[in-house]
Amino acid sequence: MSIIQDLFSGSPFGPLVEHTKKVHECVEVVRPLMEALAHENYIEIDNLQDRISKLEYEADLLKQEIRSRLPRRFFLPVDRNELDSFLRCQDKIADKVEDLAVILTLRKTKIHNSLSDGFFEFVEQIFQVTGSLLQAAVELNNLAEVSFGGAESQVVLDIIDGLGEEEWRADRMARKLSKKIYSLENEVPPIDIIFYEKILLALGSIANEAENAGDMLRMMIVK
Amino acid sequence: MDILVISLVALMGLYMAWNIGANDVANSMAGAVGSKSLSIKKAVILAGLCEFAGAVLVGSHVTDTVRKGIVDPTVLASMPGLQPGEPAALIVIGMTAALLSAAFWLHFSSATGMPVSTTHSIVGAVAGFGVVAAGVNAVNWGKMTQIVASWFISPIAGGILAFIFFKFIIKFILGQERPAKAAVYFVPVIVFMVSAILILATVYKGLKHVIGDLPWLTDGVTMTIALAVSLMFGIISHFGLKRSLHGKDQLPISEQLEEVEKIFVPLVIISSCSVAFAHGANDVANSVGPLAAVVHIIQTGTIEMKVGVPFWILALGGGGIVLGLATYGYKVMHTVGTKITELTPSRGVAADIAATATVLVCTRMSLPVSTTHTLVGAIMGIGLARGLTGIDRAVARKIFTSWIVTVPAAAILSMILFVIGRSLFLDQVVSLIKITSG
Repeated sequence: MSIIQDLFSGSPFGPLVEHTKKVHECVEVVRPLMEALAHENYIEIDNLQDRISKLEYEADLLKQEIRSRLPRRFFLPVDRNELDSFLRCQDKIADKVEDLAVILTLRKTKIHNSLSDGFFEFVEQIFQVTGSLLQAAVELNNLAEVSFGGAESQVVLDIIDGLGEEEWRADRMARKLSKKIYSLENEVPPIDIIFYEKILLALGSIANEAENAGDMLRMMIVK
Repeated sequence: MDILVISLVALMGLYMAWNIGANDVANSMAGAVGSKSLSIKKAVILAGLCEFAGAVLVGSHVTDTVRKGIVDPTVLASMPGLQPGEPAALIVIGMTAALLSAAFWLHFSSATGMPVSTTHSIVGAVAGFGVVAAGVNAVNWGKMTQIVASWFISPIAGGILAFIFFKFIIKFILGQERPAKAAVYFVPVIVFMVSAILILATVYKGLKHVIGDLPWLTDGVTMTIALAVSLMFGIISHFGLKRSLHGKDQLPISEQLEEVEKIFVPLVIISSCSVAFAHGANDVANSVGPLAAVVHIIQTGTIEMKVGVPFWILALGGGGIVLGLATYGYKVMHTVGTKITELTPSRGVAADIAATATVLVCTRMSLPVSTTHTLVGAIMGIGLARGLTGIDRAVARKIFTSWIVTVPAAAILSMILFVIGRSLFLDQVVSLIKITSG
């Protein structure tokens, strides 16, 4: 029995980085999902939805493990509540990806030719946002090494600043795309319009949650 | 007959030392073992060597204090109504009872997982015997208060020092834009500090016990020597680092951090050894202090304020600690090594330096503090500096509880054993002492 060994509780940052990666795996399914939609391959969409739901479940397990490492008596280098909020934001990213997948399975929607490019550009922009988040969040272990200060944390804070800018671009793109969708009101059935808008909103909220997660990460670092 | 009694008490001292080695030593190497800088096997061997060296070289300083400081033997000797020889016999029985009850308490509490300090147990046990044998006044309550205060102060002091050391490491090395470059200039400062503390500890206090008093070796001279030699080490390490880290400051920052942590590996090994050394120096007194008193009284028949601790007794204490480490402590070392995953060499160095410095200063001031608790305080200090990913605050409460429980528990146990011993063996011990002194 050693008192020193009792002193150390498991680090939440290892599994937290794992969680970040798992969530990003979810996000990576967005592109094949949209491609399957463009190719009207609805069986593939079902398969992908299964995959997302599995990834989301795995992310949930990680989330529980992280939470189990956060009892109030543990003394952490970051604020416990902020860490939990960060975790929740990441969790929501995975949720939003699942939402998107579910929307796509509800109805065999066809993407109008004039929208296809816009949607794919938007997806790319969302990857810019979530990619920045991944880039920042995988540094958590290194951040712990430098006790959330110094040059290393400045690097991460800069990435998060960039993330905000990318999200702002994504927002602008979403508005443009939205206008384009409504301009088609006389060409495509209204239900299609509703679905386009739903897809757009689901995609947008992925970027939105990623930005929120970035903000939480910033708060964790500056404490 | 006296040889038999001495051997018996020596055996109890050995049992106490075994307890220290079995439960406490692994903690002192936590810095090196927890950061995986040292394999378990090597850590056990190094810890054994350092504990033994600490016990034999620096040990005797605290030995007098625990015994003499807490219970005043002259009060006992001048008590009315005692036959000649009885006060001496009472001290022999009392010290034996204290030794045995501290060892029992330690064995019991470590078996039940309570973080009990060997120092606190023996202090409580000696005080308990003092109260029963000679009344409340025989216990030097001023000294007692000082000792108990030092238990609070030492973890806090260790924590503050560790906080400062760690902030220094972060600010000037790890937090820099190019840690590998900063390390070339600032790791030598840490080398300087580790070396200065180590040299001060050994030369200043150790050499006097081994080669006797050197008149020219005054405090000032020692300080000058320590600082000069440490400065030399610092400069040598600077040039060594310049070569080994050359060009590495162009690597990505995360790889640089890894390289710099590697630089801390030898330092954490040395500093952990210095904790083990300080631990040996500090804690051997707990096992051999009472033993030395008993041996002195039986051999001379006189009660003195101060007795020298013979080399063989210190060696017995050191040997007992090593024995405890070899027979059981290695298991604890193993769990420490496998369960602690968050400690990096840089953290280990900061905690170790802080703990060693605190314990040595306290030892110097004749305050018997707990090495382990000081190290716990130091590690918490690093946690406060955001340096560790998770620290269980419950440990602080556990330690606090153990403080409150240990002194009364050891004291009561020692009282009971003393009363039993007095009623059974008083006459035999009196005659034994008369024979030897006559």
